[in-house]
Formats: sequence, C-alpha cells, structure tokens
Amino acid sequence: MSADLHGSQRAVETLVSKLRRRQVVGSREAALETVLVLRQVVSKARFSNIDQLISLIRSVGKRLVEAQPKEHSVGNTVRKLLHHIREEYNTAMTGNASSSKTVYSISNFVLQGQPRKQNVAPKSEATLTLKENDPDDPDSFARVLKPVLMEAIQDVLDELETVYDNISKNAKDHIHSDEIILTIGHSKTVETFLKVAAHHRSFTVIVAETGPSYNGHEMARALSSAGISSFLVPDSSIYAIMSRVNKVIIGAHAILANGGMFAITGSLLAANAARVHSTPVVVCAGQFKLTPLWNLYHDFGALDFADPSSVLGFEEGNLVDKVDVLNPYYDYVGPELVDVFITNDGDHPPSSVYRLIKETYDDDDHEL
Amino acid sequence: MASEASSSKGEFDIYQTYRKILDDEEMSPPLAAILSLSQLMVESNAGTMFELVKELHDGAEELKRHTTNPISLNAGCELFIAFVTLFPHESDSFAELKTELVKQGQKYAKEAISYRNKIAELMLDFIKDDSVILTHSYSRVVMRALLHAHKTKRISVYVTEARPRGLGVKTHEVLTAVGIPCTVVLDSAVAYVMDKVDFVLVGSEAVVESGGLINAVGSNQMAIIAKAAHKPFYALAESYKFHRLFPLSQYDLPTHNPSILSFPSLPPRPFVTPPTTSGVSPPIAKSGIDESLNVTPTSSSERSMSAEMTAKNPDVDYTRPDLISLVFSDVGILTPEAISQYLVAMFAG
Repeated sequence: MSADLHGSQRAVETLVSKLRRRQVVGSREAALETVLVLRQVVSKARFSNIDQLISLIRSVGKRLVEAQPKEHSVGNTVRKLLHHIREEYNTAMTGNASSSKTVYSISNFVLQGQPRKQNVAPKSEATLTLKENDPDDPDSFARVLKPVLMEAIQDVLDELETVYDNISKNAKDHIHSDEIILTIGHSKTVETFLKVAAHHRSFTVIVAETGPSYNGHEMARALSSAGISSFLVPDSSIYAIMSRVNKVIIGAHAILANGGMFAITGSLLAANAARVHSTPVVVCAGQFKLTPLWNLYHDFGALDFADPSSVLGFEEGNLVDKVDVLNPYYDYVGPELVDVFITNDGDHPPSSVYRLIKETYDDDDHEL
Repeated sequence: MASEASSSKGEFDIYQTYRKILDDEEMSPPLAAILSLSQLMVESNAGTMFELVKELHDGAEELKRHTTNPISLNAGCELFIAFVTLFPHESDSFAELKTELVKQGQKYAKEAISYRNKIAELMLDFIKDDSVILTHSYSRVVMRALLHAHKTKRISVYVTEARPRGLGVKTHEVLTAVGIPCTVVLDSAVAYVMDKVDFVLVGSEAVVESGGLINAVGSNQMAIIAKAAHKPFYALAESYKFHRLFPLSQYDLPTHNPSILSFPSLPPRPFVTPPTTSGVSPPIAKSGIDESLNVTPTSSSERSMSAEMTAKNPDVDYTRPDLISLVFSDVGILTPEAISQYLVAMFAG
C-alpha cells in the first residue's frame, strides 16, 4: 500500500520536474499529463471523507502549478477535476437521507443570480450508500466512491483527447469559399480547423512568420502539404495586407476570465490591425484553456519570456551589455479585440466567458 | 385595512427607525432600509402574505418620500420584498413565517457589513506596488479596500473634492491619518491628473440593470476621461446595491426633476440699441438677474456658488456600462454584461 502511495508521489515529482524544465511543450500536452498523474493519485489515494480527498488533490495541484505558473492549463485541469469530483459526490450524497436543503437566507437568495452550474450527467446513481468517516471500515467511503471518480476522470481525459475534432466540427460553416484567412504562429488547433474546412471549401491562408520563433514556417509547410494554398509573409506586412483579409483565425494559450486571452506574440498586432479594418477575429481554443484568473493582464510578468538570444544573438558582443533585450513569448489580447471563441463546447463571445468559467469551475478553487 | 395600516404607521414611524439605524457609521442606506422593513414586519398586524407585502410596499414608499436620493434605498427595499415574495418558504403558520423573515432580514444586515472586507480582498490583487489610484468623493467600501491594500503595498491616492458636499476632503483626512500619501484634486482637474494615474476606483450608490453605475456626480466624467486615456475604471459595489433600474440617459434617473439644470425665468428684456463700444456688456440684462442672485461678496477674487445655485445641480449621475472595466462585488468580480444577467436571474426567481 505504501509502495503504491510512493508510486503516485513519484509520478507527481516526475511531472513537477518536467514542468519546471519546460520539457512539457504545449498546453494540451500539459493538461493530458496532469490528468494522467491525477488519475494515479486518486486511484492510490486513501481517504475517509470528501474533504480529505479534495485537500489532497489541491495540494498536488498547488505543487504542479508552482512548478510552472505560466502554464495555465495545468491549474485548469486540476480545477475541472475538483469540480467533477464535487458533482459526483453531491449526486451520490443526495441519495441518502442527509440531503442538503437550500439554506433559507437572503444571501442565498442573492446567490441565485449565479449562473446555473453545468449539469454533467452524473455517473453515480442515487442508490450508492456513502458513509463518511466510518470508524469500523475507514476505506468504505473511498471504495464506493473511487469507481465513480475514475469514470469522471476518464471523461475529462476523453474530452482532452477529442478537443481538435470537436473544435473542427463546424469548421466548414465558419469559412466560405475563396476567402483569405490570416493566421499567426503554429497552433495545432487552428491547423486542424483549417485542414477540416479544406475538405469542403477552397480558400487561401496567409501565414505570418511570427518572429523570433518563426513558428509560422512550420504552419505554412503543414498547411500546404494538406493542399491548402498558403502564403508566408513577414510580420511587418500584417497591417499592410489586412485590407485583403476576410478573417483572422488564431489560437490562444490561455483564455482569461474577463474574455481576454494570452496568445503568441504578434497576435496583438494582428488583432489591432483587424479591428481597424473591421475584420472578424476568431480564436480557436479548447475549453481546458479557460482560466478563472482575473488580474493576470496587469502583471507584466504574467507573459512568459523566452530566450533573448533569438532576438539579439551573443555574436553581437559589443551590443549585448549595452542593450536590455526582452523576448516575451505571449501577448495579452483584450476582450474588445476578439469577436468569438470557438471551443470544443460551442462558440462564445468574449462577454460570455465569465459564465463559462462559473459553470466549469467551483468558486473555491480559483486559488489552489 | 387602510385604517389598520395608518394606525400601525402612527405607532411605528418607519422613517425615524431608518434614521436611527443610519446613525451607525458603518450602515449604508440599503441595509438600513432592510432593517427598518424587518422592524415594520415585527410591528405589523398582517394576517396574510398579501397584507404583509402591501405593508412592506407602503413602508418602502414612506421611506422614499423622505429622501431626495432614494436609489440605493430602493435597491435594498426591492431586494427584501423580492426575497419575501419569491423565495420558497416552508413554515407551518404565518406567525412563524413572519418571525423567520424578520430573523433573516437582521441576519443579512449583520453579514452584509462583512461584504466590504470580501471586496477589499478581491481588489487586493489588482493593486500593484507603487500604484497611483484616483478615487471620487468618500466611499466606505473604497476606504476599506485602500486601507487593506496599504497593509501590504505602497499606494498613493488622488481624490477629487466632489463638490458641493466636499466629501473628498474627508477621504483625504482618513487616508493621511493612516499614512497613505493623498492629494485632493479639483473636480475640474481630473483630465489634468489622469495621465499620472494607474487606475480609477470608485464606490457606488447602485449598480443598475444595464450594467451601469450610479454614484456621486462626477463619476461619469471620470469614467469618460479614464476611457479616453485608456485607464481601467473599477467600481466597488456590494450585492445589495444591485438595482433593477434601466436608465436610458442621465435625465431618466428617479433623482432627476425639472428644477435640476433649469434656466431661471427672466423678465422680458425691453428692446435697446446695442452699445457702440464692444466689450461692455449690456446693462439691461444684468439688472434682471441681480435680484435673484445672492452672490456672497468675498474680499478675495474667489467666488463660490450660492445655495440656490447648488440646488439646481444633480447629486448623482449615471455611468454607462461600456465605460466601466470591472465591478467588484461580494458575489465575485463581474464584467458589466454579467451584472444584467445576474439581476435578471436574481429577480426572476
């Protein structure tokens, strides 16, 4: 039993060091790894009431988030899991005699204004008999609840694995024939989206180089190998060609609670140019990127910074000590610059993001 | 039933109760209204729900009649009456129900005082070290937020004078006493100071269904200038200030009456040939106005408005939702769009 516990702890430590060394690349990868680790933790965990389980998951989540605070999908997955666990627990408990009535008070009346929580089809039927803190059989609670939790975790895993397919489901409705689309960087979500649309429509894609990482080159290569006619342009011409562009479709790193987002550097430039030309800006992102944090956009440090040598190499020896070089990896794009978010759970305008967040996560989990 | 209502009002003066509750510095008008209405329920002889609700409505009307600015008071009354009518109750007898309602009203008022602390906590993350904050007039919830931030961060505050009541000076006193560097700016200098400011923080009298804000006059001006200078404009509002009002313009507010911003009626001017020298204002026009003005002659070059002039000016103004960045409330941080959805969900049951 203790070996199992150590096994799950080892898994957590491995993921923590991978995150810290940035060996996990991409928000979807990070989310997937987090789910797998948490699945191991929950399956090996010993708990006799729900609070123990929740505090266990929160402590694991806190460690993972602290390892890489800029990778928001890690924290989001932990919060989503906690939400599912609480849902399953509440459904299971309402089968018992001790059902919680709505407490009769004005403050609860005011809270009725909160958006209704998402009704996830509960895995447990009400016939489960859950007994917390049973002194004779401390494992009974865990034993009964675990299979239900495992199924809930499997749900989250399935959702993550089918994210690209779900987002691209309606791709052909978003792009018309002979349109010119502008995109930036290499987002797998946008790539899949455009490839699926290409099966039904013929259109042109203009890809911006996205210096200094030059991810745009891979994107252009991937798209043209799928038979989509693509143009690669330098970032400086984004504004110049915007009058010819019909839509801007970009990916996001994280979607913030106010409807803004973090996206690869250059997205703010493209979004502003699009706003000036009244071109729609469409963002494709999975729901696991929804982050219930509000104040990040004030923090200059919230932008991840990459290696400055790709901007100013060490060969320029005499410049290097005279100049401060910053290489922010992400831009903060405000909610007023984005027109719609296409997620695996439907399309939403930035003003509804707060509601999605209220439905997907619990309020207590905002700060892990 | 009418005699019953008047006799109960004769023994129980709801307005006096309201004023007495407001003596407590921490109480705000909506909470005092809820407490007075709870007190009204204790004294009432109503036997059915219908009578009780009617008495509550009458009590609310009575309170509104006595104040010139009934908006926040109205918010509290409506919340309480909606709670009484819409919330599902299970009680065996009417008397039991009444005592339960009264208890809930008093419990809520006690809890609600702590909401300011919740809001201060939410606001803390948005205030960075060395922030320069602009605020308007005196607001208890803004004070709580600033004092809370002062414990862990360095902040400096500009506060507008907020004429004619001049409550900005009160803010200045309180902040300076705890050691926060604070400067009072003229209401007319808001645009001048806006570029030095990191963000604007105001309290509220009420937050309305459109997502807009009703606050002391001068807030709208500040919001427009903040928008033009691309500075965030934050409003702090406790949840009992959410009000189901939808003003379509400034003049749509219940506080607006025809005398505000009205021009004085002047006696008809006799026809006179204009003077040949330019720069000399026609003497006839002045004589008609002089009698109605009581300009206080001061020895210095500074003049101030008379009480009559001040009476023609509004107390509160309405700030549009597109000028507000975020509203901080005890139910969470909300965008202005979220507020309208919230209000509808709350009052629609």
